[in-house]
Amino acid sequence: MFRTEDMEINMGPQHPSTHGVLRLKLQLDGEQIKDMRPVIGYLHRGVEKLSEHRTYSMIEPLTDRLDYVAAISENLGYCGAVERLMGLQVPPRAQHIRVVLAELQRIASHLLWLGTHALDLGAMTVFFYTFREREIILDLFEAFCGARLTYNSMRIGGLLEDVPRGWFDRVRHFLKIFPGRMKEYEDLLTVNRIFLGRTKGVAVLSAADAIAYGVSGPPLRASGVNYDVRKALPYSSYEQFEFDVPLGSHGDTYDRYLVRMEEMRQACRIIRQALDRMPEGEVKAKVPKYIKPPAGEVYHVVESPRGEQGFYIVSTGGEMPYRVRFRAPSFVNLQALPVMCRGGLVADVVAAIGSIDIVLGDCDR
Amino acid sequence: MADDKDSKPASAPPPPAPPAGGGPPSDKPSGPPGAAAAPAAPKADPLKETVPSRAVDLLKERFADQVLEITYYAGAAISVIRKDRFAEIATFLRDHAELRMDYLSNLTAAHWPKRDRPFEVIYHLFSISLRHRLTIKILLGEGEETPSVSSVWPTANWHEREVFDLFGIRFTGHPDMTRILMTDEWVGHPLRKDYPLEGNPGDHVQYREVTTAEHVYRYDKANIRGFGWKKEVEKTGVGRG
Repeated sequence: MFRTEDMEINMGPQHPSTHGVLRLKLQLDGEQIKDMRPVIGYLHRGVEKLSEHRTYSMIEPLTDRLDYVAAISENLGYCGAVERLMGLQVPPRAQHIRVVLAELQRIASHLLWLGTHALDLGAMTVFFYTFREREIILDLFEAFCGARLTYNSMRIGGLLEDVPRGWFDRVRHFLKIFPGRMKEYEDLLTVNRIFLGRTKGVAVLSAADAIAYGVSGPPLRASGVNYDVRKALPYSSYEQFEFDVPLGSHGDTYDRYLVRMEEMRQACRIIRQALDRMPEGEVKAKVPKYIKPPAGEVYHVVESPRGEQGFYIVSTGGEMPYRVRFRAPSFVNLQALPVMCRGGLVADVVAAIGSIDIVLGDCDR
Repeated sequence: MADDKDSKPASAPPPPAPPAGGGPPSDKPSGPPGAAAAPAAPKADPLKETVPSRAVDLLKERFADQVLEITYYAGAAISVIRKDRFAEIATFLRDHAELRMDYLSNLTAAHWPKRDRPFEVIYHLFSISLRHRLTIKILLGEGEETPSVSSVWPTANWHEREVFDLFGIRFTGHPDMTRILMTDEWVGHPLRKDYPLEGNPGDHVQYREVTTAEHVYRYDKANIRGFGWKKEVEKTGVGRG
């Protein structure tokens, strides 16, 4: 007698399209996925434990290494959390520069995502195009703080230094050329039949599932849930800027693509407003040399390119935090991956992983 | 946070501490009290301001005997509750028409070894439709379990696994209480305060016989030339380099 049985197969931890050291145990019925179990922790460095033994200013470089493709968002969230813990007001100029940096970082992160996601799906050209523009942004960051990936660009209470002379003009130049470049990507993908075939209706996540699984960021908004931390709980003067929150309707991979593309345009819009209204003045508040927040605790969230990035800090009044927890959007979003993939095909797992845009450094901490 | 900060003046600066173990804002067991208290005192007042919170009011109204303490810090309400009826409270918070706490933003724990009940499990809830937040805390003794909320908010599944992995707190009714970040063989729970920051990994991994199915590869000095599979690794210092 013939019989069929399920096959269990490992995808990763060294698979080129898992974007890092992620292992997926797939349970397959032929090509179809019956179940999936993500195995994580390969990149666990114990950042939370380390943070309990560092002073507040020594933790900021550690946050760079969590989500290493969007380090500025991590810096912004961490500094914002400590500032709230201390009740510190950041000067408006520093807030505006922070917004410019964070939105440039969002574009850079989405460009990296777009290039690699398209590459996973077989469209190689886009990768070269997006990395060309990402390079311009990395050059801007290098001009600002000297680093290209792990910036350590902010300080508790503001910024270390004001921007170099002519930096805003370079940002404006980028804003001028970027819409044309975005058209190039869209010409390659938006109505590309192969890309549509690989993404439309693939890895669908319903709005109810997305909320229940705590999904945040573009995957949540692609499912049609209007939750953007910048609008819902504004931080760093985001309430002063006009921008739209793009929403999807189907919750599939293609909608996540569309949402991120629109987010890049909205990011340009925010940067333009911030540059136009850039206030003059100091970039750092008066901060004691030894930062000792009063005893208390705070949970501060920011919208990183990947979603809701949370910082939970408990202080006992000492110079080191008592407990630090980084709520990683990659960690939480990854949990919804089996929900998206069940019933789909093996080849679509690659599309699904790409579409939630995880960074394993953020996920494993 | 920012939008509800300026609506009510500071009326009750420090909330009265209840008898059984308070939250972190009210007592500081291990910080240097003398140094920090004096300069921080004038600053602390606006931070500890009471903020109006519908969630806290309803929680007090409906589960008066379950709420142990409410504290405020930096515009956020933190309520410490009993764990007995927590599953019921969680469903209430999620489903009540005025609360709709459908989004469990974060779940974590903290270890306070000097307290009577040394573990705190912390839930950061958010309502996507109504845009308000609430922090819930549960105090636990050593070895005590707390009900899992992974049936109320499925996202709690991994968060609870992480808390189990790093703190050793078990959640009753959790579908899959296994380690998530550390390896399965790991001994101890790294985020406990008595767990050292530095040390030899050999002290924390319990080696056992390796089955072919598991394919656990162990790299050690004795095996470096053969690059083979070591079948039996004992906790006798092999592989410590």
